[in-house]
Amino acid sequence: MKVTLNWLKQYVDFNWSPEELTERLTMLGLEVEGVQKFSGEFESIVVSEIITHDKHPNADKLSVCRVNNGTGERQIVCGAQNFKVGDKVPLALPGAVMPTPAGAPPFVIKVGKIRSVESHGMMCSAKELGLAEDAEGLLLLRDDAKVGQSLAEYLGRATGDVLYDLEITPNRPDWNSVIGIAREISALTGNPLKLPEANLPVGVEKVDSLVAVRVENVELCGRYTARVIRGVKIGPSPDWLRAALEKAGLRSINNVVDVTNFVMLETGQPLHAFDYHLVAKAADGKPTVVVRRAQEGELFVTLDGQKRALTEDMLLIADGEKGIALAGVMGGQNTEINEQTLDVLIESAYFKPQNIRATSKKLGLRTDSSYRFERGGDIGVCDSASRRAAQLILETAGGQLAEGVVDTCPNPSELKAVSLRHEKTTALLGVEISAAKQIEMLQSLGLAVATSQEAGTTSFRIPTFRVDLKRDVDLIEEIARLYGVDKIPSTPPRGATGTHAYDAVHDQLAEARRILAGLGLSEAQGQTLIAESAAKLAVASETIVTLANPLSSDMNVLRPSLLPGLLDSLQHNLSRKNGDVALFEIGRVFTLVNGQSKEERRIAMALTGRRAAAFWSGDERDAKFDAFDLKGILEEFLEQFGLRGIAYTKRVESTPLLLESAVIALGGKHSLGEMGQLTPTLAKKYDLRDAVFLAELNLDLLLARRNPAKSFKALPQFPSIGRDVAMLVAEATTHDAVLAAVKQAKAGNLESVELFDVFRGKGVPDGQKSVAYAFTYRAADRTLTDAEVAAAHEKLVARLTQSLNATVREG
Amino acid sequence: MSFLNEIEPLKLAALAELRAAADLPALEQSKGAWIGPVGKFTALMKQLGSLSKEEKPAAGKLINQAKVEIETVLAERRAELEIKAALPKEPTDFSLPGRRRTLGKLHPLTQVTEDIIRCFRKIGFAVADGPEIEDEYHCFDALNTPADHPARDAQDTFYLGTPARPLLRTHTSSVQIRAMKSRPPPIRIIVPGRVYRRDNADATHNPTFHQIEGLYVDKGVTVSDLKGTVEFVFKQLLGDDVKLRFRPHYFSYTEPSFEIDFSNALVKKLGKDWLEIAGCGMVHPQVFENVGYDPEQWSGWAFGFGIERIAMIRYGINDIRLFYENDARFLKQF
Repeated sequence: MKVTLNWLKQYVDFNWSPEELTERLTMLGLEVEGVQKFSGEFESIVVSEIITHDKHPNADKLSVCRVNNGTGERQIVCGAQNFKVGDKVPLALPGAVMPTPAGAPPFVIKVGKIRSVESHGMMCSAKELGLAEDAEGLLLLRDDAKVGQSLAEYLGRATGDVLYDLEITPNRPDWNSVIGIAREISALTGNPLKLPEANLPVGVEKVDSLVAVRVENVELCGRYTARVIRGVKIGPSPDWLRAALEKAGLRSINNVVDVTNFVMLETGQPLHAFDYHLVAKAADGKPTVVVRRAQEGELFVTLDGQKRALTEDMLLIADGEKGIALAGVMGGQNTEINEQTLDVLIESAYFKPQNIRATSKKLGLRTDSSYRFERGGDIGVCDSASRRAAQLILETAGGQLAEGVVDTCPNPSELKAVSLRHEKTTALLGVEISAAKQIEMLQSLGLAVATSQEAGTTSFRIPTFRVDLKRDVDLIEEIARLYGVDKIPSTPPRGATGTHAYDAVHDQLAEARRILAGLGLSEAQGQTLIAESAAKLAVASETIVTLANPLSSDMNVLRPSLLPGLLDSLQHNLSRKNGDVALFEIGRVFTLVNGQSKEERRIAMALTGRRAAAFWSGDERDAKFDAFDLKGILEEFLEQFGLRGIAYTKRVESTPLLLESAVIALGGKHSLGEMGQLTPTLAKKYDLRDAVFLAELNLDLLLARRNPAKSFKALPQFPSIGRDVAMLVAEATTHDAVLAAVKQAKAGNLESVELFDVFRGKGVPDGQKSVAYAFTYRAADRTLTDAEVAAAHEKLVARLTQSLNATVREG
Repeated sequence: MSFLNEIEPLKLAALAELRAAADLPALEQSKGAWIGPVGKFTALMKQLGSLSKEEKPAAGKLINQAKVEIETVLAERRAELEIKAALPKEPTDFSLPGRRRTLGKLHPLTQVTEDIIRCFRKIGFAVADGPEIEDEYHCFDALNTPADHPARDAQDTFYLGTPARPLLRTHTSSVQIRAMKSRPPPIRIIVPGRVYRRDNADATHNPTFHQIEGLYVDKGVTVSDLKGTVEFVFKQLLGDDVKLRFRPHYFSYTEPSFEIDFSNALVKKLGKDWLEIAGCGMVHPQVFENVGYDPEQWSGWAFGFGIERIAMIRYGINDIRLFYENDARFLKQF
């Protein structure tokens, strides 16, 4: 909504500066999105009265005066002789720019000293103002000049103005009008709201001899009024009208249409003007305006020239033969005001907001009219807005008004009264405002006291323009606005301690993040919405949750896995020459299970490039991440997070995503997720040059299964004895198989087993590998003897040899 | 008294040689030459036995003192030479870069979220969450946003192709409803989470973003409480010099409703007086009725804001898309 300072001042008196008005409107809830100043003529030149007139102490031809410029007194040094105390003269204030010949530098008035006496402005001659070629002495103004008035206003020249662009919240349709905003200023200042009065001439013809109205759907059209003006002359609008519309962002069309738009801006009531003669007459010789539902598929050409197919839930204004306007949205081309129009039919009606909104949405057609109706019109203003339009059409286009109005609902019922228990205001706002003050504030907004049923409670009649006031809290909000939110004190936090099941989960997620960051991975946040083609890398397409209204095909499904997003992030980094990346993400994924969408928290990791930060020495400095970097991170993370008994089982086949991979499971049954290396096909597709290692775990399951409890185990008191074994085993023999064989051996006092070498090459036959393990023996209660350990270890080695078909090389 | 006169010069010679030893082997050699089994000083000591009873005590004392002195100097010199021997052949240049261990960084959105949560937890709030896939009831209807409300335009909301829970939540306020429906008042929660709006990505929009929401319901909760808590949290978050302004506004689920603007040196640097940062208000009685709370008995407030916006203001980030690209050079900065 755009409104200017001067327009507002027509309806309410206030003397705030443009900046102060911005602040006041903002604090009333009318957010000022933009302010634009229009300069007028003679900016900063005001009418002033001369109060004293003395000789200049240091110059014979100069005098020193005190003048009143409306806001205060100031001292001016002056060279003219033709004035006396009490005269009114133009005073240019500091900052005023005086007219200069074309090409000359601007002459700006400043505070300065003239022969060591300060002068705070300049009293002007007609010549200095550019009003006369040659003039002696100051321009003496008439007695009716008001002190403080701008010279432009006194001279009837264009004055400056300020345009405010306001954001109107959807609950306040009454603010989509200049009067609505002026009403707020009136309430805040206590100055009365001056509504324009339309004194209409008494017409000759009766309007009901010229038009009839039949509303078929009263629930969709609560009120319809019609007036007729005959003999208008269609032409351009006068300057004031054209300027008012253009400042508000509307295009000037012709005098009659412009008046309807002006009244809409002024009162908030959308109006429509028809060419009376283009509305078909009924058998009785006069047109009947019918408000009815459109027929399914009915074609209608709106004012913008578009042919539109209507549906039966849309409301149409029609005559006996055809539609003539799409109710509340846009008029029809067939009855448009044109240069030949002689007689005008003015519509001012109230339409049901939901219906207008549905029609506008369905047709994709938003207009200033539909915008206002869909947010809630004012059923009470229909007739007065119509009168105002009639008055302005008579003024700007001439013609004769037919007597009276056709009105289907001359006395619309009031909105439901709302009662307020005044104590509740204090209880909710936290500040004491007396009941009398509360009533006064609400009355200033146009609410009337209906009854005071009981002590401390007042019932208010709600004016038809305040459709947002429905219950007591709505009234309390009005009181808060007028009282000033800034004046409500702040009280320190107090009260109950909150609880929620998620509270502890949040800390566990934070703990997981900290561990992973400590392990050298940075946290990523990926898009939830990804391309279906990317989602298919992770899951079968029938389990993907799709969007019904995606923005684009690269964001058309919900991520079923965090890995496609991490691949996007790797690609982004690689394309910016960051080849070494280690990321993790914690977030939700979405899948369809039995037709129902399911959310699950996951944790995912991605590694590529060099494993360590750049260094200037050493053989391993350029070493790249491999599968065991990822596994090491997983092992450390899972242990620190309180999960034990994790198995990594290699998959036999590649997956669409992973070349070699393992399923990660807990306790042999709960599948936690997977880890592996990205397939070269995808690596190429994502422009990833180094090997990429990925892992993803079900975080909900981790949270459910973790056991973070810690307990102290006494430090060993007795020494340990170590034995190493190096052996040749078949290539297919896994580390897990070795551990299983060790377990089966049940060697006494075996404390730990650690793999310390895997070797293939010289001295190792093809198809075999050499593996070396360190075994540590220790008893908790004594020092073991060599003989004891030797016996246990012999048994162990025998078992390994037998179970694994291993050849022990040493140990 | 020739024996006694021999001790001092011999000692001085021994000390001089030990002090002059260039390295450990040379020192050990000198040690052998003087106080080893066949050393010169050892030979002198052996002569002690041949002295008379009268001469013996004075000579013995003198020779022992000399020996202690030699051994002390030997030990000192050995320590010096051991250190010299341990120094590397190439001296360490401590200006060279170290072998850096990589510490991963938490995402700036995580860091900001954690900071906000910490502020709220100080004053008794518990962290809550809820599903991101929501239904119309929890996201709109129960929040007093009727079906024909502009906020429900399909342009703003992503709907799913599945029948049961058809949309992605457009705000964390849906969790208010779930929390209130699941337990009686009082209630005091903070809700961080992802939300979705059907906006094309640009410098200030991403279809996915994060909000954080606070809800407090108790007896006798007032606008003063709301202001006090909001001021506490934002002072913790943005510093004590922050100024806040509450401006009347409209949200369908609060009444009265306010927008919150803040001002500090940073805002001034941006050439503005105020910067909008959050929305808030007193929980609408209709919302209480929808969840089965009696609005005559309970009152409460809610407020919410965008986490990206706070992070952008705090770090001076000018493009929201940076948060979702995960550029390593971006992540390492926080």
